[in-house]
Amino acid sequence: MDNSIQAEQHTSQRYNAELEGLRSSVLTMGGLVEQQCRQALEALVKGDEELARSVARSDHEVNQMELEISAQCTDILARRQPAARDLRMVVAIIRMVANLERIGDEAAKVGRLARKLADGRDREAYCSEPLHLGEGASSMLRGALDAFARLDVDAAIAIIARDPEIDREFKTLTRLLMTHMMEQPQRVKNMLRVNSCARAFERIGDHAVNLCEEVIYLVEGSDVRHLSIEEIRERHSS
Amino acid sequence: MQLTEADKSLSWTAGENRMDRAGEQDAASAAGAATRRPLDIRDHVEPADYQTIGTPFVSDAKMTARKVNVFYGEKQAITNVSLDIGRNEVIAMIGPSGCGKSTFLRTVNRMNDIIPICRVEGEFALDGEDIYGGDQDTVLLRARVGMVFQKPNPFPKSIYENVAYGPRIHGLAHNKAEMDEIVEDSLRRASLFEEVKDQLDKPGTGLSGGQQQRLCIARAIAVSPEVILMDEPCSALDPIATARIEELIDELRENYTIAIVTHSMQQAARVSQRTAYFHMGKLIEVGDTKQIFTMPKHELTENYITGRFG
Repeated sequence: MDNSIQAEQHTSQRYNAELEGLRSSVLTMGGLVEQQCRQALEALVKGDEELARSVARSDHEVNQMELEISAQCTDILARRQPAARDLRMVVAIIRMVANLERIGDEAAKVGRLARKLADGRDREAYCSEPLHLGEGASSMLRGALDAFARLDVDAAIAIIARDPEIDREFKTLTRLLMTHMMEQPQRVKNMLRVNSCARAFERIGDHAVNLCEEVIYLVEGSDVRHLSIEEIRERHSS
Repeated sequence: MQLTEADKSLSWTAGENRMDRAGEQDAASAAGAATRRPLDIRDHVEPADYQTIGTPFVSDAKMTARKVNVFYGEKQAITNVSLDIGRNEVIAMIGPSGCGKSTFLRTVNRMNDIIPICRVEGEFALDGEDIYGGDQDTVLLRARVGMVFQKPNPFPKSIYENVAYGPRIHGLAHNKAEMDEIVEDSLRRASLFEEVKDQLDKPGTGLSGGQQQRLCIARAIAVSPEVILMDEPCSALDPIATARIEELIDELRENYTIAIVTHSMQQAARVSQRTAYFHMGKLIEVGDTKQIFTMPKHELTENYITGRFG
């Protein structure tokens, strides 16, 4: 089946516009959240207190978008009674915005922690530890949003397959931070903050996986939540 | 630090970039449409041996239709349709006007016999028995396969007589007491008895539209049919009467097999277990109602149920 959601137009132009508007809103919200994640990482790594403060406060806009998009979805369900792929799109978007909002929360959390870490002495020694992990999570998020924009199931599966890598990275980082803590007990508090940041990025990776699962549901109608990557691949190829 | 200025500006506008790209893709597919337009509702599905997608056949079929062709004079209304109606199931037939769904429904109890220019080919069986056989009595067939029409059409007689008429001509009651019982039982099963029990001698035509339609259903079930065919039974009714009829359909399913033709896709989704989608005289797709309305397999089905009418 054609992957483009707008391959064929609804007889009701208004309905078309509503669905297209919904899709653009999700992409805008996704872009906003993605930017938040990157800024949170930058604030943490560079010790940019100003940026950290602005990220910590920026989830207001994302929360607002969550409310708006949810209201649009309710409106379409009530007035259009969507079916088939339209229905799957609305249902997937309802679940996606919840995930995007959670990602925004995680990014804001990193922002708050980065602010506290910004004036720590020899912060360079440990604050850049989550850089690779954070970049990995951000790129998974970006990949998930691209997969949604293009309705690309193969891309979505490829993103899901990257999650174990992020999880491993987080575990390694935790071990590393524990070593630092043992060496420098006076820094334990800050190390724990860095570890919370790392945990936040690991969670962002999980939410990106959830977004990809919704893309698969939207395109193929198959609910792949709670399946392993092998099971997802198998179902996709069959 | 590895986040460059370029990265940042990219992430700022990432959302819009994506939309632009998606927009180009749409534009590209629209341009491609000039040469390869997606199927739409006006398209003729060509080959006469078109194979229905999905599951037209069931293991426990009450009625079977095979290779059905119907002609009105020169015009072919149905082409090579094969479909089972499962026992104690509600099957909904949907599709645009003129797609052949009502014609198909009417072939199932030989209502088309009364149209002189109509010619029906194919095999039809009720419990394995040929219903177009030379020795088949159509009056008896229609007692076994009853029908409810779009507009409520009670006889211009009393409520009691409307229901009693069928059992009387088929000799189902031996005395007044038995007939009273059949009438009351049928009216109860059609959820109408409580509303009309004190006015059984009043004309059926004096009831409200919804009540008249339930009276017609009571009349249909009074002769103990095995199958009930419904041709848009709710299209002349208000939402309350519609809800009552739909509730009734669900209850009747325990004892009867029901085939319903409807223009309301929501109604098909609500009342049926299987849905058949007709298009230009062909049976395009049959499947579980849940599957048809969430994940149809054929593009024509998808376009129709999502409101993409070309």
